[in-house]
Amino acid sequence: MPTVQTRFPSALQGERERIEAAARAAGLDFFPVRFELLAPRDVNALAAWGGFPVRYPMWRHGMEFDRLEKSRQWGLAKIYELVINNDPVVAYLVSTNSFMEQKLVMAHVFGHADFFKHNCHFRGTDRNMLERMAAHASCVRGWIDTRGQDAVERALDSALSLENLIDPFLALRAQGQAGSKVQAPTFDVLGFLEQYAPVGDMARQMLGIVRAEAYYFQPQRMTKIANEGWATYWHSQILTRGILEDSEVVDFADCHSAATQASPGQLNPYKLGLELYRHAARLGRDLFALRATSSDAALIDELVDEEFVTEQALFLSSRNARSGKMEVTDRDWRNVKRSLLEELAWGGLVKIELLGVGGELGQGEMVLEHHHDGRDLELEFAKQTLLCVARLWGAAAVLFTQVDDQKLRLVAQDGAVESKNLD
Amino acid sequence: MFRIDADRARFRDIVRGKIRQDLRRYLSTPELLARRGEKTVSVALPQIELPRFRFGRNEGSGLGQGPGDKGTPVEGAGENGMDGPGAGSAAGQHILEVDVELDELACMLGEELELPRIEPRGKREISSASGRYRGVRSRGPSSLRHVRRTLRRALMRAICSGMYDPRAPLLLPVHDDQRYRARRSAPRPEASAVIMHMMDVSGSMGREQKEIVRIQAFWIDTWLRSQYENLEVVYIVHDAIAKQVDSESFFHLRESGGTKISSAFDLCLKLVQERYRPEDWNIYPFHYSDGDNWSARDTERCVALLRDEIAPRVNQFCYGQVKSAYGSGQFKKDLDEAFEHDQRIVTAGISDRGEIAQAIRAFLGKGR
Repeated sequence: MPTVQTRFPSALQGERERIEAAARAAGLDFFPVRFELLAPRDVNALAAWGGFPVRYPMWRHGMEFDRLEKSRQWGLAKIYELVINNDPVVAYLVSTNSFMEQKLVMAHVFGHADFFKHNCHFRGTDRNMLERMAAHASCVRGWIDTRGQDAVERALDSALSLENLIDPFLALRAQGQAGSKVQAPTFDVLGFLEQYAPVGDMARQMLGIVRAEAYYFQPQRMTKIANEGWATYWHSQILTRGILEDSEVVDFADCHSAATQASPGQLNPYKLGLELYRHAARLGRDLFALRATSSDAALIDELVDEEFVTEQALFLSSRNARSGKMEVTDRDWRNVKRSLLEELAWGGLVKIELLGVGGELGQGEMVLEHHHDGRDLELEFAKQTLLCVARLWGAAAVLFTQVDDQKLRLVAQDGAVESKNLD
Repeated sequence: MFRIDADRARFRDIVRGKIRQDLRRYLSTPELLARRGEKTVSVALPQIELPRFRFGRNEGSGLGQGPGDKGTPVEGAGENGMDGPGAGSAAGQHILEVDVELDELACMLGEELELPRIEPRGKREISSASGRYRGVRSRGPSSLRHVRRTLRRALMRAICSGMYDPRAPLLLPVHDDQRYRARRSAPRPEASAVIMHMMDVSGSMGREQKEIVRIQAFWIDTWLRSQYENLEVVYIVHDAIAKQVDSESFFHLRESGGTKISSAFDLCLKLVQERYRPEDWNIYPFHYSDGDNWSARDTERCVALLRDEIAPRVNQFCYGQVKSAYGSGQFKKDLDEAFEHDQRIVTAGISDRGEIAQAIRAFLGKGR
């Protein structure tokens, strides 16, 4: 397996066994978990690669690494752990964590591992992703050797521009009919392009790689709250029942509350998720069933009620036109819930559907529609991205959208974008 | 560990390309000045992003958690609640901080403004002790073995003795074939330079004028530093009297009072005579003012000092006249008149920040 191997200290190994036993006793069930202990810099490198030790060369990884290293050096952010959804699950612990923190993080990891194995959105993910990522990397390296870095980078950049044009529910939809051809209308624009775009082998493979990785990571994006909440719920359950030494309790409380603190301007997925499961427990719901079937949106739809919003002091805010500051504007639980759901709908992605080919200009153009949900697209970015679609498609690309309550039709053709107001 | 350094290097290359593209903008802002370290300068760039379909900023509502009635301001509000990978990660526009080596920045500047390399005056060969491995010899430690040379010897011997078979090219170097790298010291020319920034800090030089001088001085330093291994910078401020100051006061001092430019020139000359002897130093005096001088007689004295004393001793004398609301701009006219045909005296008018680049070009474009 293309992975890192480190020596795991025996003191931690003992704790790991105790924690694993406690996790299993609590009802968690997971693939085998491998822990590796790494220096902070190496963990940042892995984080920049999405957790995988062998990734294709890409400047974006370098940029992400740079950012992580800076925040670490300035003490702004700290990564405690990285977990990879794979069989076996691989988890990287940062060597600078305190002993108590390592225990907390290991318990947290078992929570994630259980979630990976049982949540329905992860059912379609490749559990052999370590191998697959390495294969992608060697494929890209192969192309770099024959075509040069610039050409490969251009192909990768354009594929990555479209990485969010996927169908977040494809895995649920396509169960049992794997390998079927993508047909319009579809939300799997990336898959459609991979199959039908008139491009060379290299560009097609890049599209395939980017698509496979996007589908692998999407479930993690749409279960952020559910997954972090689950892991947090369990690390506090497990640690406070016999794993912590008395002397560690205060440090644990400190660390745990830092991770789950609410800040007024931003929702913390650890906090929100944790409180949702606690709320569910109070309501007498089956937590294990919830974690098996829920994405973030489903969990919130299922559990958020008046009591929860009041207790958690959730609110809506908007900018005061006069002072220019964000202000609390609404605490009505129905509105809060609606707003939460809107933000999480469609797996947090922009909902763009491929309607078909050639139906608008009659020139074999690709016709896309943005399902507007109240949030406009960033227009300049949309134009650039549409140009990218047109380039790959080898013909015009059309996008219907809506900006400032005005319906728009964008046509990207020959390197320029034309915008027309409709109705 | 890992290959992340390759990704990082690639990203840095892209960033450098961006800085190069935007160099003109940096030339007219003080942005980089405060970010200068010993050998590097840190540049802030907007995050480099691939285009993608994403939500814009039509601010519907944000979501938050905490106490407060309607109308309570929300601290630290990002664009929306769900961005970013969780606790402690700020949403919104990231700024990239990138460290660029000063040499590299100078190199970009040189390319952008087409500056010629400077040929140091009075070349003196100083043999420096630091040798380099550029020689080859037949004895040495195996850590310094020159594999290619050794194999070449072995190949030659094999061919000469008829033992070489191209289908099975086996080479076995014998003792006499071994070659080793050898250290050889090479005399290198070493040149030292001194920059003397002189600035008029009388009442008429305002904030904006000083800012322009500051930006200009930064870029001149950067360029000359890349041209000379050993560079010293001297700061002189003057109103009616001149004094030598450190860089901090040079850029922030505000004085009032009259202007006697000759006082600065006197001090400059004194320094040249006492510390920076022209035989050993390449000397670059820069003078900045708004063009007002106390009296025509003092201007005459300045011209005489320049002509007879300063110009013969320095590489080039530069005068930058920063336009201010009060300045008459007379001094530049006077200098231009007096030194119309003298290559060693360069003047430039800078009416706003946009003209900084052009002034730098005028000053450094001669390669002196």
